[in-house]
Amino acid sequence: MRRDDAVFRALGDPSRRAIFERLGRGEAAVKDLTARFDISQPAVSQHLATLRKAGLVTERRDGRLVYYRIDPKGLRPLIDWLTHYQAFWPERIDRLHALLKEMDE
Amino acid sequence: MTAKAETQAIHQQYDLPYPPAKVWRALTDPELLGQWLMSTDMQAAVGNSFTFRMEPSQWWDGIVHCEVLELEREKRLSYTWRSGPESSPLDTVVTWTLTPTGQGTRLTLEHTGFVPKNKFAFQGAEQGWQRNVGERLRQVLAAA
Repeated sequence: MRRDDAVFRALGDPSRRAIFERLGRGEAAVKDLTARFDISQPAVSQHLATLRKAGLVTERRDGRLVYYRIDPKGLRPLIDWLTHYQAFWPERIDRLHALLKEMDE
Repeated sequence: MTAKAETQAIHQQYDLPYPPAKVWRALTDPELLGQWLMSTDMQAAVGNSFTFRMEPSQWWDGIVHCEVLELEREKRLSYTWRSGPESSPLDTVVTWTLTPTGQGTRLTLEHTGFVPKNKFAFQGAEQGWQRNVGERLRQVLAAA
């Protein structure tokens, strides 16, 4: 699966989105999330694994506990279109200039 | 917050020292388009579907699916600009406007409908979530 696809799929699920939003306010362990969202621990772990594979979340081990937090870089595919085209169009218009110069009237 | 207010757009203007007829040709002739924009099978008539194709990149397959929405010869050309993963395609509109000037043509490009409308309008997205992501986006943009 392409990386951007993975990001959209990961955030397309309401539970995962809720977990992602919660992590946006600070790192949390599985048990914090289980208590907050009324989802079973295995389900939360599964959601976190999906978010981690999509590059949206990183983990930090502290003793027996694992803490999860958002990785802002993972959101890159979501904003990439606008930044892509902000650079794309001026570059293409330069080429249009060059072409118009060469074209017959 | 309405969906419309959430979309972002690119708005650019260029003064070209060539008459609108010539600029129009560069915007609608597939062979000329292939030389400056992307290879295409465009046939400029309202309702026609066509594609633009370029080398695939890390972020997309390089194919843009289009349909002509508006056409006013040598004045205005508008088409849909769709690409990206099936699960969440980029669904935008490109509009070219040509205005004659004393020196040639003022060419206006509008590319509308960007994030967050199409990328962030996930079903059931809550405003809080959007605010939060908005903050994250600013951080990402600042770091990019």
